[in-house]
Amino acid sequence: MKIMEDKKPSIVVKNISKKFSIGFKRNDSFLAKILCFSFGDEIKKELWALKNVSFDVNAGENLGIIGRNGSGKSTLLRVIAGVFPANEGEVETNGKLIYLTGFGQGLKPKLTMRENIYLIGSIMGLSQKDIKKRFNEIIEFSGLKNFLDVKVYKFSSGMIARLNFSIGIHCLKHSNPDILLFDEVFHSGGDIYFKKKIIEKMEEFLKGGTTVILVSHDLETIKKYCDKVLWLERGEVIKYGEPNEIVEAYEISV
Amino acid sequence: MRFVDYYHRLKSVLGLSFSLAKANFKLRNEGSYLGVLWYLLEPLLMFLIIILVRANITTESIENYPIYLLTGLIMFNFFRGATVLSASIMRNNSEFVKSMNIPKESLVVSNVLQSIFSHIFEIMVLFIFLVFFGNSIKGLFLYPIIFVFFVFFVLGISFILSIIGVYINDISNVWNIITRLLWFATPIFYVLTTKTKIFFINLFNPMFYFITGARDFIISASFPENFVIFGILGFSFFSFVLGFLIFEKYKNKIAEEL
Repeated sequence: MKIMEDKKPSIVVKNISKKFSIGFKRNDSFLAKILCFSFGDEIKKELWALKNVSFDVNAGENLGIIGRNGSGKSTLLRVIAGVFPANEGEVETNGKLIYLTGFGQGLKPKLTMRENIYLIGSIMGLSQKDIKKRFNEIIEFSGLKNFLDVKVYKFSSGMIARLNFSIGIHCLKHSNPDILLFDEVFHSGGDIYFKKKIIEKMEEFLKGGTTVILVSHDLETIKKYCDKVLWLERGEVIKYGEPNEIVEAYEISV
Repeated sequence: MRFVDYYHRLKSVLGLSFSLAKANFKLRNEGSYLGVLWYLLEPLLMFLIIILVRANITTESIENYPIYLLTGLIMFNFFRGATVLSASIMRNNSEFVKSMNIPKESLVVSNVLQSIFSHIFEIMVLFIFLVFFGNSIKGLFLYPIIFVFFVFFVLGISFILSIIGVYINDISNVWNIITRLLWFATPIFYVLTTKTKIFFINLFNPMFYFITGARDFIISASFPENFVIFGILGFSFFSFVLGFLIFEKYKNKIAEEL
């Protein structure tokens, strides 16, 4: 009975399609829109960022997603995370899900590091008490102990990357998710020493029982940790299967 | 089961709103020399200007005019502060909205909460004025009754504006002008006499009801007239329900439109 439960897929993606209308530039004024419309050359373009994508990931498995820029990787993660609704198809996820991107998740530059930790922590769903418990670990990991009361706009980009990741990963550990979506967390701008630390920390999730979807351009990492790999190109699945085989095919195509 | 779900959702929205409001409140006062003092200075300076101008153009006297004026000023301030910010709230927090599946209501609610924080400072000024002019402060304790309905009214408007702001950037400029117009239309620094043209216009002005109701409470500690009570109940209910429904309908589309 228990084995049966473990085999239950934790993410099922069924024929997902996602359309973006990119007809008008955001900055076009209302007047320009009226003019375009009345002269009859209303440009209406649609972009299918995802076309009929389906796959499923079993509990505890790691899935890597590779592809060029603009192939729909991040959009796919956002659809799974529920940030974007899909136009067609269904996503089913079982368990607590957390989506983490490597690019700043809204650190407020005018607040100090301490205040930022509390702010981001509470946005990620931790109570003030929980953050207090994790506080020392976060500072320790980021290695920015001396800058605790410095405002974040004075930080270098490397320091921001460190802080961002430290807060993210510790909040993750606390909320103990069943499913994790990582979008380019390895290339957040830290140096190789910090990158090593990141990978060590991530191994806890990658080798543990958490289901992970990993979007990365670091093919070595993908090969090392993923059980399966999905290759996306212009929103379509090109190949899906064993990591070594697919990464090789991808490398050849480049 | 559904009811429990709603309860948990409400709890998480409120918790997040509160910590966001706290952080933003700090942010707004960051790096300004007078900081929180501005919340006291802003209505006070406006108050002084109007008193001075008025003294020069008219000699007619209104009973308890300072209290009458200040009540109107700070209530309108609350309304304007909360709604103007809401029109651009989704754009200003686009990085949160796009990278996390957070309850988007909490951005709007936190905005209104923040305005409530600063309104508390203004209420303190009003308290000092009441004591200074020897009025009874009994009415001030009744004020929260009206304020609760007022908050629901403002929440509804904020929900609607936050959604429009996602699609149309210019709404914050338009709304700025509308609130300015409304400021002059509402009897804030003048007194309405019944059966004039402007009185009939004001029957459609929600701010008129809230401010009149609050003045009845604060100045004379008496209950407002029936039509004012109906106006307060009606506008707050209508605005909140409409705002909530519109927000529910569009909230899933916010992330991709930013």
